[in-house]
Amino acid sequence: MLRFIAKRLASAILVMFTISVLVFLIFFATPGVNPASRIAGRTASPAVLRQVSKEFGLNRPLPIRYGLMMYHLFIKQDLTSYVNIGDRIIPQITAAAPITLSLIFGAVVIWLLVGISGGVIAAKNKGKFVDPLVMFFGIAAISIPVYWLGEMVSLVTQGGLHNSIFAWVPNGGYVSLTQNPWQWALHLFFPWLTLASLYAGIYARVLRGELINNMNEDYIRTARAKGLSERRILYRHALRCSLISIVSLFGLDVGVLVGGAALLTEVVFGLQGVGWLTYQGLQNLDLPLIMGCVMYGAFFVVLASAAVDVIYAYIDPRIRVVA
Amino acid sequence: MSPEETPTDAVLSVRDLSVSFATRQGVVRAVDGLSFDVGTKEVLGIVGESGSGKSVAMYSMLGLVRDANVSISGSVRFEGREILGLSDTEMQSVRGGEVGMIFQDPMTALTPVYTVGWQIVEQLRAHNDMTKKAAYVRATELLAEVGIPDPKSRVNHYPHEFSGGMRQRVVIAMALSCNPKLLIADEPTTALDVTTQAQILDLMGRLQAIHGSSIVIITHDMGVIAEIAHRVVVMYAGRPAEIGPELDVVRSARHPYTWGLLGAVPRADVKTRRLVTIPGNAVSPLEVPTGCAFAPRCQYRMDICAERPPLRGARDHLDACWLSDEQRLEIRSTVTVRGES
Amino acid sequence: MSDDVLLRATDVVKSFASRRRVKGIRSLNTAVNGVSLEVKRGETLGIVGESGCGKSTLARCLVQLLPVTSGHVEFNGVELTTLSRRQLRPHRREMQLVFQDPYASLNPRRTVGDIVADPMRINKIGSDAEINARVRELFQTVGLDPTALRRYPHEFSGGQRQRIGIARSLSLNPSLVVADEPVSALDVSVQAQVLNLMTDLQDEFKLTYLFIAHDLGVVRHVSDRVGVMYLGEIVELGEAEALYETPLHPYTEALLSVVPELNDTDAPRRERIIISGDVPDPADRPTGCSFHPRCPVATDLCTTEKPDFVELRPGRFVACHHPRNLEAVAPIT
Repeated sequence: MLRFIAKRLASAILVMFTISVLVFLIFFATPGVNPASRIAGRTASPAVLRQVSKEFGLNRPLPIRYGLMMYHLFIKQDLTSYVNIGDRIIPQITAAAPITLSLIFGAVVIWLLVGISGGVIAAKNKGKFVDPLVMFFGIAAISIPVYWLGEMVSLVTQGGLHNSIFAWVPNGGYVSLTQNPWQWALHLFFPWLTLASLYAGIYARVLRGELINNMNEDYIRTARAKGLSERRILYRHALRCSLISIVSLFGLDVGVLVGGAALLTEVVFGLQGVGWLTYQGLQNLDLPLIMGCVMYGAFFVVLASAAVDVIYAYIDPRIRVVA
Repeated sequence: MSPEETPTDAVLSVRDLSVSFATRQGVVRAVDGLSFDVGTKEVLGIVGESGSGKSVAMYSMLGLVRDANVSISGSVRFEGREILGLSDTEMQSVRGGEVGMIFQDPMTALTPVYTVGWQIVEQLRAHNDMTKKAAYVRATELLAEVGIPDPKSRVNHYPHEFSGGMRQRVVIAMALSCNPKLLIADEPTTALDVTTQAQILDLMGRLQAIHGSSIVIITHDMGVIAEIAHRVVVMYAGRPAEIGPELDVVRSARHPYTWGLLGAVPRADVKTRRLVTIPGNAVSPLEVPTGCAFAPRCQYRMDICAERPPLRGARDHLDACWLSDEQRLEIRSTVTVRGES
Repeated sequence: MSDDVLLRATDVVKSFASRRRVKGIRSLNTAVNGVSLEVKRGETLGIVGESGCGKSTLARCLVQLLPVTSGHVEFNGVELTTLSRRQLRPHRREMQLVFQDPYASLNPRRTVGDIVADPMRINKIGSDAEINARVRELFQTVGLDPTALRRYPHEFSGGQRQRIGIARSLSLNPSLVVADEPVSALDVSVQAQVLNLMTDLQDEFKLTYLFIAHDLGVVRHVSDRVGVMYLGEIVELGEAEALYETPLHPYTEALLSVVPELNDTDAPRRERIIISGDVPDPADRPTGCSFHPRCPVATDLCTTEKPDFVELRPGRFVACHHPRNLEAVAPIT
């Protein structure tokens, strides 16, 4: 186990280092771009530019600059924004992270419930009309872009119907769980549904395929020969084995989402989560903010893939021997 | 006994079983008019090449052919009770409870994510009112009985931690767990090496002597039949070509297909000079002739073979061939039908 | 090297790095553990053994599809193990393979005519017209209809595909054909057709066969001499008939005793010797004789000292401290 953790930690550091170097180089090494003028604004006078260069250490060689940024980000933890001068990056991220986590937590519950039951129902009714129906909803949910769906949901709930059936829907924004759990859930309800729809569609389709494959395996024939009920065969044997491939999908999806990939949903619903923060950083070309968000994201992706490996070993005994 | 009368001691009697599948290319008659009996404590071998319908026949009678386009007709009596057309729930108590099954590939026959003990316990508890603890004790006993060393710890191991031969022992332990009256073994040793095959056949023979269950063994290997079976059904293109006691079929086979089958096997125990071959390939299940199914490949084909031969013969040795006894005697005296030099 | 030896292997070893750790050390999986043999011109040498005994790996090492870890392979008097890919090419042509799975070993997207013609095209032998004529001739030789040249592999049955595989292997006029389980995927009646075809082709083209199979009956039928493999080693090698009639190695004896026999004569059945347990992991090889943990006649000597592979009787090589049935075979004079 210790070996496993050490190995994972090393790979996390390697991934984060590689990504940070890439982000850094894209920002600074793009030819013909003067970072000082980006920070100070295009119309700034040469004197101001010099001042800015000195203040941000932009006149020093690239590796030193990179080192300084990492030092301020990870060790002194006082890296500040290039745009909103004086704003520290880390508190912004720690403030945004709970919002993102809340959004993803609820969406995960919904998409697992809907996705797994959809997949099971479709596989169980293969060859009847229910199967193509479920699969149609699945493909529809996958194909609808999140920003469009989000805008539509906002339009419907906040528009003409806001005074009648959707009066209970808040005007957007976020209430923390510790402050008021009911309002927390209410504020996040539609963002959850919006984010979950895509993943529910994907999971239902993937699970259906896995289940149908597994139902043709030899061990299912053995289970029938043992005199088990069709129900037990489906849930205890076929579904259990099908979940193995769902888990790897799930881990990566959650990692990427927590890392900021829920950006579109956050922006559409005005939730100031990590995705939204990254979006701000990108709009303003605010390198420290981008760097902070990217590092945070990379960390979660690596963490999630490590979690997947652990869960994998738990649900698939064949992996355990190797690990 | 002739197939028309139902003997009193038959555990399984199959009469005129037909299984067909509706496909886009037409109707495939996988099994066509199969009748046989399995007596108490008898080992019946069903031998045939791939596509002969030997597995489909056994699977269909237990409701294991789950294809919407299948139609099954005939009669299958298990201990005097008709089991064709039983509901799913009724069939579930027959399967695993009164009829145990062993399959060809032990590597894939067990669910990979559960321990072997869990899987045996699952079956025990599906058919008996047993506590989990008692079932685990019984599972450990069963593993010991099929010769798995250190059963107390092995009961908690997963299938992938066993070798092929050991997995087949687990499958056998599972099949025998509810003391079935009948054991159906579908190519139980085909995927195994010859030394492992010997272990498994030996084990099946010993367990059968102890438990007294009847066995139907499905195989393509005449040698396996000779090792373990009392009687044989030779199948070709879904139809029975010959049925009889094992020694009679091996030593005085009556059907030309059986001659070919026996002569085609290279032997480890005697020198074979040139193998007898059956020309051509197995008949496509879509194009089975209306007459004798084997006629297109048969070198003794006659005009009458355009008509389907009945299964007939003396006493318990029956065959479906138009050749007369005199013709057969003449053929067997002039041609080497077996592979010896 | 005498002229009648086409292929000679000396102490061939092939190990793979194993993912498993034995006693904490990443072990080597020695699939072939020091095999020496000779294949004589025009003969069929059968190699028989159970799954995992290393017979297929040995075959691949002999034709240089896999590099050997150590040891020598001489073909037509030329040492192959030290040659570069380019230098190997002319020798490769002389050694062709027939594989087990007729479904997997033919490219499904090429017509069977192309499959048979490809080796000639790659080696630039003859014009298009000549190659075409040769393909037709090969089809006839292996008993296939030459009008089926433009069809794809999936349109053929297993037996026909194996004939196509054989036609392909013959297209370059090889002197050695290495057949790895060529009939084990086929039904008995089709298997008999393919075996008879291979026998006929051997007579017609003066081929030398290295025939690898797990089926003891098939190997006896086709082979002039037979080598029995266990856990990466040849434990017994000799004339097929003599070896099958009176096996000297306890493993061979046990193996032959348990082959299912047809009770078609009144001759008593061989006493069955059922050896217990499974083949050990080649990454965790027993000390001394590899067979000793399962051997019915093993002694302390067998657990410590590895027996040499020696000629105990004329033409009969055995690696055993306690050979069986010695009195039944005439000694070397």
